[in-house]
Amino acid sequence: MVTAVTNLGRSGLYDWLIQRASALVLTAYTLFITAYILFTPDLTYDQWQALFGQLWMRIFTLLTLLSIVTHAWIGLWSVLTDYLTERLMGFKGTIMRLLAQGLLALVAVTYTLWGVEIIWGF
Amino acid sequence: MLDASLASEEQFVALQETLTNPVWQVIIWAVLAALAYHLVAGVRHMLMDCGLGESLKGGRLGAIVVVVLSVVLIVLAGVWVW
Repeated sequence: MVTAVTNLGRSGLYDWLIQRASALVLTAYTLFITAYILFTPDLTYDQWQALFGQLWMRIFTLLTLLSIVTHAWIGLWSVLTDYLTERLMGFKGTIMRLLAQGLLALVAVTYTLWGVEIIWGF
Repeated sequence: MLDASLASEEQFVALQETLTNPVWQVIIWAVLAALAYHLVAGVRHMLMDCGLGESLKGGRLGAIVVVVLSVVLIVLAGVWVW
């Protein structure tokens, strides 16, 4: 059993729930944006900017961004703890896993902060 | 891309130009393809969480449906991109 110190939630069940909840948000957002772009022929800047100008869209977008980060962390955590393990390659496995998770954390924080800046900065 | 598309009219138009580049189009299509498959397989996974399609027959059927639906969506994404 991997020492559950780098997973996201308090317990496996907590992660299991967050994974499904974030998946629902992501599915909703994907369907919405796809439909919006498909059914807005020759989309103009004004329409696009107006869409993201609305508060609900900003909240929905940032909620989606956070969902992407949590979904990715939990998903990749289970992948990394399957493959970068001591059982497979000795202590080096854990080192590589922690490096990979560190990199993922860096990317996640960067995208989150950048996303907030984009949505509230323009 | 989102940053550019919202920053100003010029950058929005510039982005539209950039996205006519075939290299970008292939990258976007690949990402859409991966997302389509992941989304469909994820939905199936959540259905199985609800107890649907957990039998051997149901599981096999679910797998086939996922692959077929994903291929359809991936082709549609290709049509959409090009």
